[in-house]
Amino acid sequence: MRAAILLALVTIPALLLQTTILPLIAIGNATPDLLLIICVYLGLHLHSIAGAVGAFALGYLQDTFSGGTIGLNAFAMCLVFTVVYLTSRRLWVDNAVSKIVVVFLASLLKTTVILMLVALFVSVKGLGQSMLGYLIPEALLAAVFTPAVFALLARTQVLTVTEEE
Amino acid sequence: MLDFFRRNRVLVASAGLLLLSLLLSVGARGGRRDPVAGVVLELMRPLQLAVTGAVDAATGLWRSYIALVGVTRENELLRRRIRELEQQLVHGAEMQLAEQRLDQLLRFRSTFAGDSIAAQIIGRDPLPWSRTVTINKGANDGIGKNAAVLSNQGVVGQTIANSSNAARVLLITDHNSGVDAIIQRSRAHGIVKGALDGGCVMKYLDREASVETGDLVVTSGLDGIFPKGIVIGEVTEVNPGTRGLLKEAEIRPSAPLAQLEEVLIVTRPAVEEMQ
Repeated sequence: MRAAILLALVTIPALLLQTTILPLIAIGNATPDLLLIICVYLGLHLHSIAGAVGAFALGYLQDTFSGGTIGLNAFAMCLVFTVVYLTSRRLWVDNAVSKIVVVFLASLLKTTVILMLVALFVSVKGLGQSMLGYLIPEALLAAVFTPAVFALLARTQVLTVTEEE
Repeated sequence: MLDFFRRNRVLVASAGLLLLSLLLSVGARGGRRDPVAGVVLELMRPLQLAVTGAVDAATGLWRSYIALVGVTRENELLRRRIRELEQQLVHGAEMQLAEQRLDQLLRFRSTFAGDSIAAQIIGRDPLPWSRTVTINKGANDGIGKNAAVLSNQGVVGQTIANSSNAARVLLITDHNSGVDAIIQRSRAHGIVKGALDGGCVMKYLDREASVETGDLVVTSGLDGIFPKGIVIGEVTEVNPGTRGLLKEAEIRPSAPLAQLEEVLIVTRPAVEEMQ
């Protein structure tokens, strides 16, 4: 329940930002993927089935608001969650820099997975080249926004815990 | 066995969700409708409308502020008066521009038969590799799936999903989009698809067809979605290709898709305009 409240509190404003304001300040075509940062947070801090379902829900929401095939972002988000979850069980990911690096790598993973899945489903000339063009800018933007989003998520988590107590 | 699942329940759940995502993708490619999408679109619509309104208001205030930079403190009262006038001016100019745009849309609407409705763009695609927009009209206004979306400057796209009061529009520049089209001058036939650079490509043109830079590309009406003769764009380059019977041409869309604020949706096309 706490996880669902935390997700809703942060995801809805993040999605609103991503569909209204952030496209206006896009660098080239690249915009910061706020939902991906939330997904990484879930992989690092919510080691439960709720975390996995949350990651799926984040991807599904992105699918709903984008013109692509339903399920592509859901798949990529689930994969990012799983990889981050496994990483955090084996590596110590606790300081700010390591979290930024994890988000950067997660963004690269997500875009690459989507690129591979899109290539499986449709044949679009130049799609790979185009997506590779904003692979790095997207990952960099996500990394820049990581400290703020993580701080907000941590604060929201504290609030929801206090409320339930 | 049960112990294994208990110990690895997160991984098992993740694997299940990965499989579900793949099944959703395959189902979506097979044309299955997504029932949740409409509900989510409808729930987010008022929020998107509010944020877009707030951004517009903030932009207006920012412009007013910039216009007032340079005025001295001694003229505070005068400055306040100027600010009020500036705000009124910006508001008036915005109103005038909106009126002009709507007037152009209305005049454009009268050029073809059939029913159509004007709508406001309230959201844009969150992902850079697909190009869709959300509009503030939906099923309650008679907008269904696969309705033509136009502006007075040309074709914008078609609706791909709707809820009661909102709909999502696939722009002609998206790689999933396809519009049956002809070259106005030579009547050469082809399909205009979205390219990844924000433009379009006219494909499946006969190798012998007469196509030149600057040619106007219009809808053919053969796809049953777009009325015949609506401008799509202008040929910017012809790629003859080295092999095969076909060639393609790069098209610059006539409608300024990134700057559009209002669009016209054809809710019921006239039968005589469809081939």
